[in-house]
Amino acid sequence: MVAIAANNIQMSFMSGTTETKVLKGIDLAVPAGQIRLMMGPSGSGKTTLLSILAGILTPTAGRVELLGQEITQLSRKELTVFRRDHIGFIFQSFNLFPALTALENIELALQLKGKKGPNNKDYAFDLLKQVGLGDRVNNLPADLSGGQKQRVAIARALAGEPELIMADEPTAALDSSTGRDVIELMQYLAKNKGCTVLIITHDPRITDAADEITYLEDGLLAQESSLVTGLHSVEA
Amino acid sequence: MVSLARKNLLKDLPRFLVAQAGIMFAVSLVTIQTGILKGFTRSTTLLIDSSAADIWVASENIVNFELTEPFPYLQVQRAGEIEGVARAEALIIGSGRWYSDGKLTTLRVFGFDPDGQLFRPGQVSSAAINALNEPYSALIDRTNMRSFRIDNVGDTARIRQLPVTVVGVTRDTQSLVSSKFVFASLLNANAYISSGFSSELTCQLGEGDLTCVNAYQRDSNEARANLAEPGPLSSDSPVTYVLIKAAPGEDLQLLKQRIESELSGTKAFTKNELISSTQAYWQNRTGIGFILGLGAIVGVIVGMVVVAQILYTSVSENLREFGTLKAMGASDWDIYSVILEQSLWMALLGYVPGLLLCWGVGTWTAATQGIVVLITPVSAVGVLGITVVMCVGSAVFAIQKVTRVDPGIVFKA
Repeated sequence: MVAIAANNIQMSFMSGTTETKVLKGIDLAVPAGQIRLMMGPSGSGKTTLLSILAGILTPTAGRVELLGQEITQLSRKELTVFRRDHIGFIFQSFNLFPALTALENIELALQLKGKKGPNNKDYAFDLLKQVGLGDRVNNLPADLSGGQKQRVAIARALAGEPELIMADEPTAALDSSTGRDVIELMQYLAKNKGCTVLIITHDPRITDAADEITYLEDGLLAQESSLVTGLHSVEA
Repeated sequence: MVSLARKNLLKDLPRFLVAQAGIMFAVSLVTIQTGILKGFTRSTTLLIDSSAADIWVASENIVNFELTEPFPYLQVQRAGEIEGVARAEALIIGSGRWYSDGKLTTLRVFGFDPDGQLFRPGQVSSAAINALNEPYSALIDRTNMRSFRIDNVGDTARIRQLPVTVVGVTRDTQSLVSSKFVFASLLNANAYISSGFSSELTCQLGEGDLTCVNAYQRDSNEARANLAEPGPLSSDSPVTYVLIKAAPGEDLQLLKQRIESELSGTKAFTKNELISSTQAYWQNRTGIGFILGLGAIVGVIVGMVVVAQILYTSVSENLREFGTLKAMGASDWDIYSVILEQSLWMALLGYVPGLLLCWGVGTWTAATQGIVVLITPVSAVGVLGITVVMCVGSAVFAIQKVTRVDPGIVFKA
């Protein structure tokens, strides 16, 4: 089954009277359960493509199907609900809520998904334990290291068990060792929970975590996606 | 339940406290201005409110409680004979000057029957009321003691040329827009009001005509020697009001009509009517109500600006957070509720200390200046409502900003 399908995605932005084409017709299919890396130089349109695939931006042309649902036909409100119910996000700058503790950051994500009640705390605590932060639950983001913040962000993305995880440069703000740890954690949890993961990255050190890599250049797929084989090293 | 609003508010405590001080100031401004307006208008009718009279009869030319024309004492006697009137008593209001330690203070003297039942000057003991039957005795309001240079009951001073002994102090009587009040018996009050003037009637008989000239002369301000007791009121002595107690079961509106038809040149009011018309005069026909109301409006505007500025800054600083919430699937209402909750917390946390501050200031001004900042349960709830509207209204600006947040912001480093 294909979890993410994009067909002839085009995106243009107007700057005054000048039209800039950022995406020039992208076709993409990510099978369910796959970890897909999307790589390419700055300005190649990676982030724009991710925004479109996540239902945050509407493409100028083309269609996107997520989990069999064509999202390009959905209203803004329906897209919001779709994102809430099916997608977990991981951001380059973590985007944790600085006033909330690690535990509360996850509880808030659960609240948004309509999950309320005393079980949220236990569930959030379990998620933090899974990412190795069982002893940091009451720490504010400011008191956590970059790697720990990204682990909280991963736990938050997994809250509510979404089918899709979309990550934007998740290792960019981390040193190489921490970045490696984080990507291995993502890999392990995604496989364990059966998520489809789409990662935008510049980081060549994490390519071995992917099932497949797509290269984007100047708004077009630069070459055929390359299947990565024999590189999976999934460890607990 | 995680409250992002509350946590965001308390994230930066010093800034939060500065913001709350701004809201507290706005709440205080509104409360004090409206409290002074209410206290001031109430003070103009305290004496009416504390009376036991059902109907107040005044000259038909009455403007407000203290601005009216006198009519002869005879009308009091006639009023007592009208059907449905259980009791009629006179009230005299006049002006004078208080001399003490060589200093001058203007005063308003109220003369009433100490043995009567319909007029009581505020909170005062029966013994003090009875003492008013003594010649040249008076009560003063506690808040006026310093102005009158009176330290204790029993101290003496002078009203125009006549001596006065303070036989008691009362409270909750003084109008903020009037001269200092002095309360005396009808006889004493009449003496004080009419003292300072003497008249001499000179008549000449000419070719069949009698020509008379009544010459009034201002007496000197020196204390009068060889003082006689105040004389009784005559039928033509001027009085200001007739206070009426209606017979049980009597329809007050019908009784008013009967009184006005029996006593020509008069206008009758129920107690509440006289209170309303006097308060309306001070609120609407003078600039005082307008000025104090304007102050309250300025308070609301200042509060709105402060809250709007704080919320707008808070939203601007947390724009990425709101973008993250949107990306994560938060509905518009989820986001608005964060801002609204924030504004409601600000309202509540600014209101409570603001009101406590006003209560403290009001207690102090009432005790030391005699100026009542009236905070009733209704006005306290009203100010809370204004504060909530002020804060929630300010949140609209912040909501407009967050509505335009592009969730794509979350993908920017």
